[in-house]
Amino acid sequence: MAITFTLNGKSQTLTDVSPDMPLLWVLRDVLNMTGTKFGCGMALCGACTVHINGEATRSCVTPVSSVQGKKVMTIEGLSEDGSHPVQKAWIEEDVPQCGYCQSGQIMSAVALLSKKPHPSDADIDDAMRGNICRCGTYQRIRKAIHRAAGDAAKA
Amino acid sequence: MRRREFLKTSAAAGLCLFADESLVVTSLAAEQSKDFHPNVFIRVTLDNQIEFWVTRCEMGQGVRTLLPVLLAEELFVDPRIVRLHQPATLPEFKNVRLRTSGSSSASTTWMPLRKAAATAREMLITAAARKWSADPKDCKAQDGSVLHVPSGRRLTYGSLASSAASLPVPKVVLLCSNDFRLIGGRHRRIDGAEYITGRATYGLDLRLPGMKYAVVAKPPCFGGTPKSWNADAAKKIPGVRDVVPVSAGYAAGVAVTADSVWTALRARDALQILWEKGSGETFTSDEHYQKLRATTAKQGFIVRHDGQPAPPSSDTFEAFYEWPYQVHAPLEPMNCTAHVQAGTCEIWAPTQAPEEAQKKAAKLLGLPEENVVVRVMVMGGGFGRRLFTDYVQEAVEIAKSVNYPVQLMWTREDDMRYGHFNPASFNRYVAKLGPNKRPVALLHRCATSDLSIYPPDTPPTAESYAEDWTPWGGYDNPYNFGELTVDYTSVASPVPTGPWRSVEYPGTVFGRECFLDELAHNASVDPIALRLELLRPSEVVALRDDLKLDRPRLQCVLQAARTVAGWDKPLPHIAGMRRGRGFACNIYHGETHMAQVAEVSVAQNGEFHVDRIVCIVDLGQPLNLLGIEGQIESAIAWGLGAVLKGGVRFEKGQSQLTNFVDASVLRIKDSTEVEVHVLPSAEPPSGLGEQPVPLVAPAVANALFAATGKRIRRLPIAAADLV
Repeated sequence: MAITFTLNGKSQTLTDVSPDMPLLWVLRDVLNMTGTKFGCGMALCGACTVHINGEATRSCVTPVSSVQGKKVMTIEGLSEDGSHPVQKAWIEEDVPQCGYCQSGQIMSAVALLSKKPHPSDADIDDAMRGNICRCGTYQRIRKAIHRAAGDAAKA
Repeated sequence: MRRREFLKTSAAAGLCLFADESLVVTSLAAEQSKDFHPNVFIRVTLDNQIEFWVTRCEMGQGVRTLLPVLLAEELFVDPRIVRLHQPATLPEFKNVRLRTSGSSSASTTWMPLRKAAATAREMLITAAARKWSADPKDCKAQDGSVLHVPSGRRLTYGSLASSAASLPVPKVVLLCSNDFRLIGGRHRRIDGAEYITGRATYGLDLRLPGMKYAVVAKPPCFGGTPKSWNADAAKKIPGVRDVVPVSAGYAAGVAVTADSVWTALRARDALQILWEKGSGETFTSDEHYQKLRATTAKQGFIVRHDGQPAPPSSDTFEAFYEWPYQVHAPLEPMNCTAHVQAGTCEIWAPTQAPEEAQKKAAKLLGLPEENVVVRVMVMGGGFGRRLFTDYVQEAVEIAKSVNYPVQLMWTREDDMRYGHFNPASFNRYVAKLGPNKRPVALLHRCATSDLSIYPPDTPPTAESYAEDWTPWGGYDNPYNFGELTVDYTSVASPVPTGPWRSVEYPGTVFGRECFLDELAHNASVDPIALRLELLRPSEVVALRDDLKLDRPRLQCVLQAARTVAGWDKPLPHIAGMRRGRGFACNIYHGETHMAQVAEVSVAQNGEFHVDRIVCIVDLGQPLNLLGIEGQIESAIAWGLGAVLKGGVRFEKGQSQLTNFVDASVLRIKDSTEVEVHVLPSAEPPSGLGEQPVPLVAPAVANALFAATGKRIRRLPIAAADLV
């Protein structure tokens, strides 16, 4: 059975994957796109966050069959060179420490800003609550989101 | 060489002792390519590329920025355009420490790296001067070139590489701190772009030709072993390769390898395993905590007894504090890739202990150490968990039985069940009070468990514990309590325990700094004022070896804290909320001196928020102010996690915490604003990665008391405790 979807703007067809294989493992182990991370396997940590039709989605619990005909975006697809405004804000605020959660954090932040271009702190708490950071970069994440929104004064 | 970061290590434990790294500045044999490679840290190529070997393991603390800054300072290059190499146990690094522990990277690389870079700089200047037939005194290093000041002539380091390579190694001349261009500045992470693009290669991202993925079925309780197994169903799944027993790690189990992690996980589920239950199967943390409680009522090993003998007194004040088991749970689970071929082994490991990984793998394989190379991957968090190389040995053991490279992955459940937990630490304080309710004697009894990852060679004694300053936070109590007795007992348990960020300090500093608050309240004196009183006489207390408690230096931190945190000003009012401030301070291994002031708001129903923590620190020469802020923010979040969430329960010999359920970890809404004040200092740099952690719980608990009148003596703290 073939599964066809758009991945970072390009058409992708998979013919030899189990339909129930989570998208996370398809990305990492079939397509060798390792920017999307494994942290928990139960949609509790957000490290695996990608966009499916523009919605932030935990790829570790998303069967690959469910992305048939849809648009998938991963961290690799945000920009060629780190120039997406959210990525630039992350650098400006020196957010990453170990960096392992940051692909997922950035994908969740991009999705938030696409829906709420000027989020409040409460909006940020809510939208980002599924993304864990064990290094404690939360306050810098918050500042970077405000910066990317052009709301540096809120930070 | 500081011993503390090794804890109870010995030759028998198989850990190597490190030579003085300043001896590493030697001329390496001139290479055919005539690159300039004066020591293991630095290379200048003929085409003017500068390369640095980073000799500590990156886990988010920023050594891949800090160490290049130290080298770049003395070498006069831009650290952001240098090519960085990760640590590896190659022969040329045999006498160079790579192990990253004890928050010691800054203090232990400060001199060796500066000497190495300064020496290289002087050789390049000499080479240029010779080329120009000029006086070296008229030449200076500048931005990757040597400049002849009188004439303006300039030569790049690359063009000088081969002539510098043939020079003898000169005496080194270090920059003085007034001339620092980089040290003390604000430097963003040099490798930041890798993380925000998803391009950083963590252990699980490595891809090798022919590589297979492995997961291990682990026992249902501590000490369990596989008695027998049936792999028929597992092997029928397409893409499954081999099924192999493992016992080299902490827990025995059965490994399965496959073409993808997903397939390996399904195959693991399909394994039918009969487990031999282990000796730990009846263990419960509730029973263990009762034992710890009872133990603090009995005398243990007296590790310290000094001060003015107490006069008789019938006025006593006593309190008892409980710190539960904690798990590390870095976001990247344990993993390791290994490839064993005839007579050699290559390992790619996210590890804090590359030398130990190499040594133990060589022993497991029966190979000479130089036939095993460990290449360190950047880690998705370390926090002390990756000091134990159990998962490396598991990967090697599996790789030994197959003929392809193996990438072993632990699931989150594996990681939380088979962690090396921070042991529970119960601390009882009994003070005798004299005039004005000031303490004239203190008995501190600590009951916890020795770290199981460092088994001692011989049964412990009071002297062996005292040699290790155990318990940290108790033995090195900096205050004058009159007659001070510190008493320590280790209670055995089957739970594997290892260093958790700040190791022994969390339980004891929670107890000590809360107890001081209680004493202050009992005596109707301000908590900072009481501490200042008890830091008299204002002298440096020399305990043993190189452990000195500099009371005047801590007093300066307290005075500064009082001012910058606005301690004497009322907190802004928030309608419907009770507000309060709390204080805690500590000297970490006699080096980093720190205080924290926490501010909280508590609603009528007990729900509370930590609004702000102000951290005042004297850590010697600051190296990277942005990195310092980042480490303090990080460590405070770590400590806050234990206050608000934290704690691991064990039942039937197994951790009851198996994944990131809400109650277990800090989320963005729980995080607190952190304000950092770094005091100026001419001392050499001291550590910071762990130092802030132990102050958070007492500062917050004390703040909650100030807000509500409710005294908290155990964690995590719930709203119900504050109603």
